[in-house]
Amino acid sequence: MGGNTQRLTILAQDPATRIAGKLVLASVEVPHEILADGPVGYRVKVVDFNASSNVLYRPFHYKYDADGNVIDPFALPNKTLSDAARVAFDAKLLADPNFHAQHTYAVVMRILARFEYALGRRVKWGFDGHQLHIAPHAFCEANAFYSEEDRALLFGYFYGKSKEPVFTCLSHDIVAHETTHALLDGLRNRYTDASGPDQAAFHEGFSDVVALLSMFSLKPIVRLALTQGKGKAKIKSERGVNLINGDYLTASAIADSILFGIGEEFGQRLEGVRANALRRSVKLPPSKRYLSDPDKEESHDRGEVFAAAFLRTFLALWVARIEQLGTFGANRYNVDMVVDEGAKVAEQLLTMAIRALDYCPPVDIVFSQYLAALLTVDREVAPDDSRFDYRVIIRKTFASYGIEPPKTHTDASGCWKDFDPQIQITYSKTHFESMLRDEEEVFRFLWENRASLNIDDRGYLQVISVRPSTRQGPDGFILRETICEYIQIAELFGAELKAVLGFERPDGMRTTQRIRAYGGGVLAFDQYGRIKYHIERRLDDVVSQQARLEFLWKNGYLDQPRDARNQFAAIHRARAQCC
Amino acid sequence: MASSTASPTTATIFAYQVGFGDCLLVRFEYANSTSRHILIDFGTTGLPEDVASAQMTVIAKDIEEKCGGKLDAVVATHRHADHISGFATKTNGQGSGDIIRALAPKVVIQPWTETPDLAIDAEAPATGHRKRLSAYAVGRVRMNDMAKLVVRQLDAKGSGFSKSLAGSIRFIGEDNIANESAVKNLATMSKKNVYTYHGGPSGLDAILPGVKTRVLGPPTLKQSDTIRKQRSRDADEFWQLQLTNLRADAEATGQNGDLFPAHPTRSGGKLPRDARWLADRMKDARGDQMLQIVRALDKQMNNTSLILLFEAGKKKLLFPGDAQIENWQYALSKDDIAELLASVDVYKVGHHGSLNATPKSLWAAFKKRGNQSKTGRLKTVLSTMPGKHGTEAAKTEVPRRTLLSALQSESELHSTHTLDRTKLYEEIRIDLR
Repeated sequence: MGGNTQRLTILAQDPATRIAGKLVLASVEVPHEILADGPVGYRVKVVDFNASSNVLYRPFHYKYDADGNVIDPFALPNKTLSDAARVAFDAKLLADPNFHAQHTYAVVMRILARFEYALGRRVKWGFDGHQLHIAPHAFCEANAFYSEEDRALLFGYFYGKSKEPVFTCLSHDIVAHETTHALLDGLRNRYTDASGPDQAAFHEGFSDVVALLSMFSLKPIVRLALTQGKGKAKIKSERGVNLINGDYLTASAIADSILFGIGEEFGQRLEGVRANALRRSVKLPPSKRYLSDPDKEESHDRGEVFAAAFLRTFLALWVARIEQLGTFGANRYNVDMVVDEGAKVAEQLLTMAIRALDYCPPVDIVFSQYLAALLTVDREVAPDDSRFDYRVIIRKTFASYGIEPPKTHTDASGCWKDFDPQIQITYSKTHFESMLRDEEEVFRFLWENRASLNIDDRGYLQVISVRPSTRQGPDGFILRETICEYIQIAELFGAELKAVLGFERPDGMRTTQRIRAYGGGVLAFDQYGRIKYHIERRLDDVVSQQARLEFLWKNGYLDQPRDARNQFAAIHRARAQCC
Repeated sequence: MASSTASPTTATIFAYQVGFGDCLLVRFEYANSTSRHILIDFGTTGLPEDVASAQMTVIAKDIEEKCGGKLDAVVATHRHADHISGFATKTNGQGSGDIIRALAPKVVIQPWTETPDLAIDAEAPATGHRKRLSAYAVGRVRMNDMAKLVVRQLDAKGSGFSKSLAGSIRFIGEDNIANESAVKNLATMSKKNVYTYHGGPSGLDAILPGVKTRVLGPPTLKQSDTIRKQRSRDADEFWQLQLTNLRADAEATGQNGDLFPAHPTRSGGKLPRDARWLADRMKDARGDQMLQIVRALDKQMNNTSLILLFEAGKKKLLFPGDAQIENWQYALSKDDIAELLASVDVYKVGHHGSLNATPKSLWAAFKKRGNQSKTGRLKTVLSTMPGKHGTEAAKTEVPRRTLLSALQSESELHSTHTLDRTKLYEEIRIDLR
């Protein structure tokens, strides 16, 4: 039998990213499983149907070795290939729809595995089902998107400036981005609802962040980013150690290197599909004005601000870790260790980014709340921040983009405040064991304690998830938490806004206008079943509710039903149109 | 003749029954019993079932009669078929456009985006933007090609879309195909053509004594840039990409192995059972993508609409064509214009009552909105026909129920969709004194 993982070959970025004219391939670990034809596995079902030409491409039938491991049909041969042979190998790979299917399957599974690793549990897709459909060549259209309605990621292909088809499924970035939409939708189902400008932007920005960080966790890409830039850093080899001058290792030098090293090639042929997330993130300089700029209210523009804050944080943390490395003579560093540190930071930050979702309110997310969640996650894992100053750097970098932790409910370090032990909570009427998994039991607990928890019992109250979260604590022991999400829904008329939510209705809104307002929260229980954090998005939070409603009203989103198929397709198209 | 300083005393709007479209004849009457006539748009993409097919000719003849055989001006707010199809001529000279042409309008006014040969020799309203103007013109051609291609693809057998989806795509696609006869007639029916923009000449000052006509939209490319720092990609690039891929999509239909010629395939009619559920949905999803693209195209064209504000006597009459928020944005960003708009007396409802064409900030700013007891209550004119555009389920139906309800309760609404079948037009008289 094989182990827990098996390896498959993917493109580390996309067909345009090459070293010396050769594709940058990576052999990545994915969860071990016996694949059905498609490939179809326990979480993914690839159906290579092309709706434009109305044909299904025959899938590959995978074989397994004696140890039960999949035989990767697209692995680079062990022997050294001549340049001509390698060119032929690359061309064959790109012309084979079965490789496209494998690449897409493997990237999706890799992202899923990252989420499950970070959260210490199985993670659902954002629909009622276990297997996510993937159509690598869905139709001839310059778009790729997650469709909740179809339980699918649909990847288009298109003809850009060259006459050759461009396949969106072959972009690691695009596949990771769309997969993240599907996973985020599973973790926070209400984040696809109409809300203030941050929420849709968060879906986009967070998906970019996962895509970028998962790419930087691949060492070939980090090395490429570091060494292929304009005015390439010269690597000198001395006694078997590859050395790089420290002048190339400042945040701005690395940013330049990324930009010129892979930023230009990154998504180069995909400009028709989307903005170049990497280039735009690196090039967007810090400014505290973005979030109040009406130009940045569009979800794709605003999401780029969030992604830029994250990318700059990545660079700053990387530099902080490089500074702790030993030097080899005058300001010279071992480039392999520098690359290792970069990949390590990307891995760490990605884990934190995903884990932070557990500490985000279930409705109407705003960037500032996410930041508090991110800082809290880091504090949980590393209470002592003194070595690399992660939290200080994260906070400072986000602040430079105008993203600060909320003024209330957070402590001086920007983390969520611990639940006040003075608040009287009744635990005795519920059962600890049931509270770990049973939504009914948690609801009973909530209802029993609604007064202490300041939960408004008018409107509709519902527990929407109870999930375990396990990870290694700072003392090396396994830390177990239970994360429960509840939401409150209030159906209101325009005339009731002042009385119920505490603010006047917007100009032009009629008294009979129907409005749905949301509240809710996350209760994080510790391993003893006691409340550790209560992260709220209160129904009576006047400032937030007013900002949300005015944004929805101004933009005509208040009455719009959600389009479970085209929601992301429309955002991505708008993003492409503006780049 | 009216003296050059006299103001008109009355305005009358004849909102003709063109089903889904616009045809508004505006008559300004002066104290000396003279009058001026301006025809604002003349088009349809769907007549009511109970009117005769010759309706457009009947209307053209009525316009001829009302203006005494002499039209002072024609305004074509934008090139959508539901605004200009009536201007099409026939080889026998009996088309509705022939009748209008014979009324010899002194001027034809259109948005700057309709300037002929924009790419080559137009007096660019925004100097220094030749390259972008050229790109715009190319984009315009490509958008038109796209609309044609979409409709052609629907005509072809086996488009694979559901009937309702195909119907929605076709409706918008056909509306966006330039009616070449109408375009040509508009360009040549008068000795004078004015192609204008926000703050530009209306071409009506000499024609309408005592009336100040402001052009509030569309903004030029340069003006748009001032309110949006991050410029959208040039239209030609985006539409070129869409057009190329729509062509490829059309060519791919029914072709086996187009992308990977050497790879074995199975045709859509013989799919294994594990692929059928998704395959059916993907066909729908493909249709949805096409619908979204034609909607984007439709919106871009709507946003080339002229927005005219007539100030006559003590009244203000606002005619925004089908302008949507992106067109309105520039005008609304100007404090003095926002102030002017607040006191509008008559509002021709934008885009047949769709939600996006009456920006909430504009509607909220109309000070003369109010219930029946309000003195000097806002009058609204709506030319529309339900059941042609959008769906109630998606809350995109035109006219939008919520807007219609607001128009009914907060203004004196005159709509063609409630006209008695025996009536050719809705008549709205406005005392300008």
